Amino acid sequence: MAAETTTKRWGMVIDQNRCIGCWTCAVGCKEINNEPLGFWWNRILTAAPGDTTGESSATVADPASESIDVPHGTFPELDMAYLPVACQHCEDAPCVKVCPVGATFRRDDGTVLVDYERCIGCRYCIAACPYGIRVFNWGDADQPVDFTIGYGKDYRTTDGRLVFTPDRPRGVVEKCTLCVERIDTGEQPFCVEVCPVGARIFGDLNDPESEVAQLADDGGATQLLPDLGTNPRIFYLPVEQEGSV
Amino acid sequence: MAARVDTPGLRPVALGRTSRIWLSLLGILVFWGLGAWIYQLTQGLIATGMRDVVSWGLYIFSFAFFVGLSAGGLIMASGAEVFGVKSLRPLAPIGVLTAAACVLVAAMTIIPDLGNPQRVWEIFRYPNWSSPLVWDILIIIVYFAFAVTDLAVMHRWTMEAGKRRRTLRLLAYVGLPTAVLLHSITAWIFGLQISRPWWNTALMAPLFVTSAILSGTALIALVALVAHRFDRFELPRETWTALAALMATALAVDLFLVGSDYVTILWGNVPRERAALDLILPGGSWQWLFWLEWVVGGLVPFVLLVTPRFRIRPAVFALSSVLVMVGVYAFRIELVVGGMIKPLLQLPPGNATGSYRLGQTSFQFQGIYHPTWVEYGIVTALAAFLALLITIGYRWLRSVERAGATA
Ligand code: SF4
Ligand code: SF4
Repeated sequence: MAAETTTKRWGMVIDQNRCIGCWTCAVGCKEINNEPLGFWWNRILTAAPGDTTGESSATVADPASESIDVPHGTFPELDMAYLPVACQHCEDAPCVKVCPVGATFRRDDGTVLVDYERCIGCRYCIAACPYGIRVFNWGDADQPVDFTIGYGKDYRTTDGRLVFTPDRPRGVVEKCTLCVERIDTGEQPFCVEVCPVGARIFGDLNDPESEVAQLADDGGATQLLPDLGTNPRIFYLPVEQEGSV
Repeated sequence: MAARVDTPGLRPVALGRTSRIWLSLLGILVFWGLGAWIYQLTQGLIATGMRDVVSWGLYIFSFAFFVGLSAGGLIMASGAEVFGVKSLRPLAPIGVLTAAACVLVAAMTIIPDLGNPQRVWEIFRYPNWSSPLVWDILIIIVYFAFAVTDLAVMHRWTMEAGKRRRTLRLLAYVGLPTAVLLHSITAWIFGLQISRPWWNTALMAPLFVTSAILSGTALIALVALVAHRFDRFELPRETWTALAALMATALAVDLFLVGSDYVTILWGNVPRERAALDLILPGGSWQWLFWLEWVVGGLVPFVLLVTPRFRIRPAVFALSSVLVMVGVYAFRIELVVGGMIKPLLQLPPGNATGSYRLGQTSFQFQGIYHPTWVEYGIVTALAAFLALLITIGYRWLRSVERAGATA
């Protein structure tokens, strides 16, 4: 039991009331993680404000436009909210369940990671992830500049698994690591740090005093596609609408 | 290879001109595909048309298809033994041969799909038992070993007759559940995924078993018909009738299951489930799959098979078998593409594709998939290799049989 209380349970709350859809976290993520061209571990979706689960606007009606920043609805009933989506670090992660070789795994602190040296490139995890957040290295990484930006070094977990490398091997899958190399040294994930409006709150869900735990527990927080039972570690505070109950 | 067949002691089977042309053609296709694979290895999977939204393509369609084709064999052999369907017994050797060949080729089809094929051994070193893929590979190995054993026993002419019969019976009783398991586990690779409403149905395993019986029987019929045409391979009339009945029934059950799925989705009208179906139903951008499955590979062969006037003509029977296989392949495409093409979160800007071209967006709302020549080349080669295995295996069976008959 003692071990359980000392174990961290990393989680994040994203406040949609604050998010202005500026994509700073997405670009920051690309930089710190040296993501190749065309790779986005983190995207800011344009949703409808009432859509707290990614469900309604996702599927009830096709959005008005395939472009970002276009409101949902018909004039004059227009409305929109931003929904930043990266790996949800699911407690019951379908990607972990399907990976045939355990290349995708869950650390004790709940971070879902990919071992670049183990992945056989079967892409079963891409098929299994409901949030469409995984990207695959189909060929050689295509970099905008000829040098490494961001973290710039290999990072291994304590048991030696390569979970980040700036030069991506071909044929492996990758995704958000919650900036594992930063959180392991007490820093915040980069998206949290760069968000200009403080819409992202990161911390230990096991610590009841932490802001993240309180916000996540506060009834108003929702998860993305909650009916699938993946139980994400990323929570959203939906936009509070005027006149809403 | 021919030399092996002609080893002294066995009645020599001369390679005719047609066989030579056929075998060389297959050989050329296999080498062409090997070249395509080498090219793909140098480039990575970027040489294929798959990208992050539709991230499984021709290799997975074909994998599921080849697994299905392997069903016929044990169904024939076991059906004859377990249910005492005597008329199917003459087909048992061809059946088991196709089973072994198809499941081997199915396993080979996974290899070009992997981003890191050199690491495939890790599946045995670090198996993750919650993954249906691990179980599928295990059952494929078991099934292959089983089919080879069955084949060996069938042709061990030295084995005392009574003992051979008993062994075959025993094998048949084990074979049937193994075959059902093989197709069910393959179905569960898809059917268990909550992220893909189009796949996530309990019908998936029954559908795979049925379509496997359907396409597997069609393959056996085709092989028997080709053998009949070129090798004077004769089958009693009631065997043909039984084959036709089996195929027609499997076809009807298959379409019934697919149809039930359509009705459930249409009536429920849950948008995330409608998304895939709307693409496939008439009017959708993938409607050609619907026509291939329901008409070209559905209604037409069904009518041909149930009308005695048509089915007694070998050419028509062969045509029906081919059409049936086309329909089943269409179902495989429909399944994989339908499941992947529209990600659950249909919100702008869509999913990242992992590829970048100047002036083009790196996001996709709805997936795009156009297989490249590399994929076509490799899959054609695998099909050619399958045909090669069956041809050589068939010649071997016949020579052993003749040797047995004269002994
Ligand atoms: S969001 Fe997707 S990749 Fe991340 S843990 Fe959940 S299933 Fe896995
Ligand atoms: S692509 Fe890699 S991480 Fe994903 S399931 Fe396959 S082996 Fe596991």
